[in-house]
Amino acid sequence: MKKINKLKIISLSLVVVVLTTVSCEDSFLDVAPTGSLTDVELTTTPGLEGTLIGAYSFLLGRSGFYSDASNWFWGSVLGGDANKGTNAGDQSQVNEIQTYSVQTNNASVNEKYRALFEGVSRANATLLLALTPQEDVSAATLNRVIAEARFLRGHYYFDLKKIFNDVPYVDETWDGLTPVPNNADLWPFIEADFQFAFDNLPETQSDAGRANKWAAGAYLGKALLFQGKFGPAKSMFDNVIANGVTASGDAYALVSSYELSFRSTNDNNEEAVFQVQAAAGTGNINNANPALVLNFPHGTAGPERPGGCCGFNQPSFELVNSFRTVNGLPLLDGSYNDAANEVVSDQGLSSADAFTPDAGNLDPRLDHSVGRRGIPYLDWGPHPGQDWIRDQAYGGAYSPKKFIYYKEGIGVENDGSSWTPGYTAVNYSIIRFADVLLMAAEAEIEAGSVSQAMDYINQVRQRAADSPVLDDTGADAASYDVALYTAATFTDPTAALRMERKLELSGEGHRFYDLVRWGIAAETLNDYLAHEDALLNSPFVGASFTSGKNEYLPIPQNEIDLQGTEVISQNPGY
Amino acid sequence: MTLLCAMLFFSISVLAQSQVTGTITDSEDGSPLPGVSIILKGTTSGTITDASGNFTISAGAEDVLVFSYIGYSNQEVTVGNQTSFSIALATDATELQELVVTGYSVDSRRETTGSVSTIKPRALQVTPTGNVEQQLQGRVAGVTVITNGQPGTESKVRIRGFGALGGNEPLYIVDGVPQFSTDFLSPADIESTTVLKDATAAAIYGARAAGGVIVYTTKQGKKGAVKPTITYDGTVGFTTPGNAPNVLNPQEQADWTWNALNNAAQQAGVTPSNDHPQYGSGSSPTLPEYLLAGGVSGANITPADVADATANYNINPATGGITQLVRANREGTDWYDAITRTALLHRHNIGMSGGGDGSRYYLGLGIQEQEGIILHQDFKRYTFRINTEFDLIPDKLRIGENMQMTYRAIDILGDGGGQGSADDENIINMAQRMSPIIPIYDEFGGYAGTAAPGFNNPENPVASLDGSKNNRTFLAESFGNVYLEFEPIEDLTFKTSFGGRYQNFNQKGYVRRQYENSENNSAFGFNQASQYTTQWVWTNTANYKKSFGDHNIGLLLGQEALNSGSTNSAPTFRSISGSGLDPFSQSTDFVNLSTVGSQVLNGGHSNGINYSSLFGRIAYDFDSKYLATVVIRRDGSSVLGKDVRFGTFPAFSLGWRISEEGFMSGSTFIDDLKLRGGWGIVGNVNNVPGTNQFSLYGTSIGNSSYDIGGSNSGARQGFFLSNIGNPAAKWEQSKSTNIGFDGLLLDGKIDFVIDFWSKTTTDLLFQLPITTQRSSQAQAPFVNVGKMKNKGVDLKIVAKGDLSSDLKYEVTFNGSFLDNEIVRLAPGIDDLPNRSASYRGVTPILNQVGQPLSAFYGFEVEGLFRDQSDVDGHATQDGAAPGRFKFKDIDGNGEIDLDDRTTLGNPIPDFTGGLTIKLNYKNWELEMYSFASIGNEIFNVGKLFTDFYPLFPGAAISNRVKNSWSFSDPSGTIPIFENVSNFSTNTQSNSFYVEDGSYFRLQNVTFGYIFPNVTLDRLGMEKLKVSVSANNLFTITGYDGLDPGVGGAADTNFGVDIGNFPITRSWTFNVSMAF
Repeated sequence: MKKINKLKIISLSLVVVVLTTVSCEDSFLDVAPTGSLTDVELTTTPGLEGTLIGAYSFLLGRSGFYSDASNWFWGSVLGGDANKGTNAGDQSQVNEIQTYSVQTNNASVNEKYRALFEGVSRANATLLLALTPQEDVSAATLNRVIAEARFLRGHYYFDLKKIFNDVPYVDETWDGLTPVPNNADLWPFIEADFQFAFDNLPETQSDAGRANKWAAGAYLGKALLFQGKFGPAKSMFDNVIANGVTASGDAYALVSSYELSFRSTNDNNEEAVFQVQAAAGTGNINNANPALVLNFPHGTAGPERPGGCCGFNQPSFELVNSFRTVNGLPLLDGSYNDAANEVVSDQGLSSADAFTPDAGNLDPRLDHSVGRRGIPYLDWGPHPGQDWIRDQAYGGAYSPKKFIYYKEGIGVENDGSSWTPGYTAVNYSIIRFADVLLMAAEAEIEAGSVSQAMDYINQVRQRAADSPVLDDTGADAASYDVALYTAATFTDPTAALRMERKLELSGEGHRFYDLVRWGIAAETLNDYLAHEDALLNSPFVGASFTSGKNEYLPIPQNEIDLQGTEVISQNPGY
Repeated sequence: MTLLCAMLFFSISVLAQSQVTGTITDSEDGSPLPGVSIILKGTTSGTITDASGNFTISAGAEDVLVFSYIGYSNQEVTVGNQTSFSIALATDATELQELVVTGYSVDSRRETTGSVSTIKPRALQVTPTGNVEQQLQGRVAGVTVITNGQPGTESKVRIRGFGALGGNEPLYIVDGVPQFSTDFLSPADIESTTVLKDATAAAIYGARAAGGVIVYTTKQGKKGAVKPTITYDGTVGFTTPGNAPNVLNPQEQADWTWNALNNAAQQAGVTPSNDHPQYGSGSSPTLPEYLLAGGVSGANITPADVADATANYNINPATGGITQLVRANREGTDWYDAITRTALLHRHNIGMSGGGDGSRYYLGLGIQEQEGIILHQDFKRYTFRINTEFDLIPDKLRIGENMQMTYRAIDILGDGGGQGSADDENIINMAQRMSPIIPIYDEFGGYAGTAAPGFNNPENPVASLDGSKNNRTFLAESFGNVYLEFEPIEDLTFKTSFGGRYQNFNQKGYVRRQYENSENNSAFGFNQASQYTTQWVWTNTANYKKSFGDHNIGLLLGQEALNSGSTNSAPTFRSISGSGLDPFSQSTDFVNLSTVGSQVLNGGHSNGINYSSLFGRIAYDFDSKYLATVVIRRDGSSVLGKDVRFGTFPAFSLGWRISEEGFMSGSTFIDDLKLRGGWGIVGNVNNVPGTNQFSLYGTSIGNSSYDIGGSNSGARQGFFLSNIGNPAAKWEQSKSTNIGFDGLLLDGKIDFVIDFWSKTTTDLLFQLPITTQRSSQAQAPFVNVGKMKNKGVDLKIVAKGDLSSDLKYEVTFNGSFLDNEIVRLAPGIDDLPNRSASYRGVTPILNQVGQPLSAFYGFEVEGLFRDQSDVDGHATQDGAAPGRFKFKDIDGNGEIDLDDRTTLGNPIPDFTGGLTIKLNYKNWELEMYSFASIGNEIFNVGKLFTDFYPLFPGAAISNRVKNSWSFSDPSGTIPIFENVSNFSTNTQSNSFYVEDGSYFRLQNVTFGYIFPNVTLDRLGMEKLKVSVSANNLFTITGYDGLDPGVGGAADTNFGVDIGNFPITRSWTFNVSMAF
């Protein structure tokens, strides 16, 4: 009998076990996700601040070589400041972009589109969370967070507008599912975001990297300028120039010497209206200009160099020639490309061959923007020419020079934790004060005073004249000659302005968009292609810019496939 | 009443009994068989043979002794007046008589109505692969194994095609404990392997079993064994790396560099002006004596430079600039040879099994140490297994356990445990890119490399391997279960089993500071990672089996709860990892995470996923003639949202043993014939991560941090939407239908199993791409849209017999035909972009509606442009020029654009099969096993690296380019070799890279000798067999790459070969003995 009892007990307990397990099934099947937060947790002050940081962080692009705010490829290479460089096969998917024969499924175009919309999406996420703040969020904080987020959204849409023209516009109220066609003009939305930011942001901020009132004002002025609203643009620029201060409270001014805008030790200077904050040694190279890592001299022969890879973004012959000065002024008629004026290069020479750098007069901004043989390359010694060039016949004789770290800054200005040391802490200026002065000059020419325009341009030129590159004896590294415009020489204000923007802002991602908004992209770029094609072997064979098409990149084919042609229409010509 | 009758009968037979003894041997080799069970027919009383194959049992004259042993035919003998028996059991029972371990029970194949295959334990040990699942290739019809030759690599196993867009791994059941990987198992410990292929068979395992089930049971002892059986199996051997792909020698490479430059100039209509840092600037290239002397490159080096480099030689970046002197290797360096070796392997397994009254045990000890053919690449596995069972109350209550401890050390190439080695730019690809004129070492013992200009950017692969020689990865784990079995009454068994797995992982890696390459890192790095994972499962079942006259009935009821992972969701784990740079000393005794600078710390954890299930099965047969099985299972998964997390899935099957019918009794050649049919639905969420129902924000230093304060050296933490949730995602349903025949013909000489099957997955769960304006960084949720269809035929034929009394043969053929198609994705979505990896801009794969998974996609090459008039006559094509690809104008609009792309093939074979031929002559045995894959294509993207100049100018070049088109010889079949990269040369995916991947391979030949009993008695042994084996003796294929057995991470991205780890030839010597 005892045995049977035991069996009964065992049977019974089995039944109990089964029943118990079934009855607590529901809570058993609730498994919490780990290492993540839900939206409710993020409506606190630290939560809102954190999502805002996430929105800022995509200014760096963070993945891929073509996605950051510098637009080195989209603005500078496509604008003729530089060619892709390196050799034919490297990153060959962008070859078709620089020859203006891009396919709609180009992976790099897609990468840029996705990165910009990620920025939009993060700004919108912050704004959505800000609609239902917790009690700990003060009105001032909430207002500032919203204004910064709208500033950032304005920036990301501005980039989308100038690169892709009209794309689907979504704000924080979008449900994420309703189809949004790309038929609305983005400008009113962009203006509204910057206007809100201008009206609501404080003049100074606790962190140097935050957008402030004046950054928003400058960006609003730029948006107005891009739309041809010269009068309103002019008044906004007047206000910014007169009253603008950086987030740290310094009155806007030009830095004393040109190259100080491109050095990490001088980040967030008085000229920096709005900069992308890069940092080295943070534990991840995505904080250290991941999109600029390709743009260093390439190779191992010859003297020690920064980076070591990969030889992209090689300044064009056309750009270099533009720095020729006669009587201290640039050649506005395009004759800088004439045989008599063109800058002597070491194209076709190896580093072992003898070479004497150009002896003529030049604007010193050339030697702050372009690495060329025989001229000191920051503090790395003289550029040796071909030893630092991956494929001279393909990419030309020059190396990029802005946003390069200094030898004395190794380990501080750059991040050595990855496959190449070319990850840097150098901030890129989305807008710097020299740009503001030149935009103001442009607005003055169109809707104000030509002499005020000349004054602005001369401020920029004076700083250039004060910025010679010195060799190791302390002497000028080349024959520099920069003069200011006078009423007598400022006879073609538009040409002077356009040339000044080219010289001052080369390699900073602006040129292509300037050409497009001025309506001179086709003629300028086709001349450029013809000029470079004659000097280089193969990158520009068959290239030509088609007016009415190549002003904008195609909307990525993926988006059209996903949403349908009735929702997303492709840009003309593709 | 029945019980009473049985007891009565039992007591009568007991009364009439007397002692009988006997010996049982293997009919083939005469070796004694220990552990054979002997049962008096119709009773439960019996015994088993001891280690010498002897048995003693009490039996009466009318009793019938039934001898049964897994892997052997049953035999029945009436006792009569005989008292001593000598029984020879025939090995390899017919397919119908095999025992199949199906869901939660053991059945004979004869009773089974589902589609089930078994594999002989021996087949798992023939070739010395690292992981046991690699052995399944070609052994079971309907099982696809995507693998490669690396020891320790993880393979992808697919049963009956690809049911879903991901997560199609089969569920492995090891001694009742479900798992998604079995890399911890030692093949020698496995007693039986059963593959449950269709829903009828697999449905009892419910959700998680949509990809089929592979059931392993490990070896057990035998209760009442007289003395322990000790076995030893050993293998020693070596693997040879084979030959390198053919590349141009140094002079040829220089000549072809000139050809590339000249061709580019000629295409552009300009005068070539060739200038190369190594080959000079003449009209023909010259090979330099030195490639690099200090900062001076080949063509420019003067004797003074050599003297200078010699005097200032320095390869330590910490002590100043690098100065090397590198002599050109005009003979050519064989880089493949430099990174490979003849690799040794040895494997030893000791097993000890036995038992006493009411207890049994098995002890297994296994060691496998195997070198990879790549330098410093090693695989080690040590296993210890102990399986025991004890009767607590005889015939009523048993307790048992199966326990395994495993230590594995693996160092392999490629992502995903080696799965990705075919399609990432690993060391083999690097060796293929290294120019042969570069020596391995410079003149003073440092590494030579592409620091010498003109050879592009491959890294010296020998240096890379040496730099990682101290890297280690090991896993220590334990796995097993404890169970209690209880039989309150006869025929009813309750079982409760608690099983689990604990795994601990540790890894350390060193990144050497490079100096010899054109692109060097700038720091010495160290990283370390550690993680534990846990999984558990608790299963409770009740089993009832009873016969009422001709009615046989089996009932199973069960309940199961588990915490585990799935193919796309981690089990419960916590991990910690860190890295840092530039320690004071690089000595491995000094370097740890505390002694490096720039420390970075990472961590992660997961709570796993939970399942709660109830299941039942009714099996009924009438007179063993008409069979029926019904299975129903209700599963709940924590992966799914509250309202939809439970699913109930039915399956049923019918069987008809036609041969039992009266009208078949006249048949002379059919011994047994069964028709089977089944239908069932299995739910599946394996592909869905545990977080799918939640919208979540994450933080990541790489993805959302920002230096808002402008510090230049730190970044503040930010948050971003990392996961978009879909609480409405419900069970994906896989419906399958199966019709099959099992037959036995010609007096058992021919066995066959044939199955026709189809499997349709609906409510297919996949990550429908979300619009970019919503997010490009957040994980898109899995949603239920889409449909996938698989159908096929599985066939197994075994023919065996005696050619003479001494010569016996057995031929086994397994074959399967498979057809896979993506039927539907989502409304308006015809393809899934962004699933394919991109290889330097070439994207080979597009998963599309109407095509199989992982289909290759791109332009169809019509040929090469003959000349300018051919270009002019063709549709407009960017970059078109003589000698370049001429793409087909598919839409006929006169312009080659993206709409002209088409499907170019797919990596799923139409047919795969294995053939085993075994011959026995007296004591000699010869076994050959071969495998064939037919009708699959391979995307040989490796050609992009070796057949074109501009991708990596200066890198090694395949000698295939000698067949390239040129202006002087326009008959070439490979595109013009030129320094141009555009739409018509090397930037587009096209049919040039797609090759037929069919192959036939002789996988294994084993020649062995089984020592006769006379010798064994003298040696005091019970079994001794020695054999020699050769693996992968030859492969017949038209494929151009290193090996057609291209692995890859299924399911939506595989079949791409960029530098595959080749299947390698090996020779082994094997000993198998028992005491």
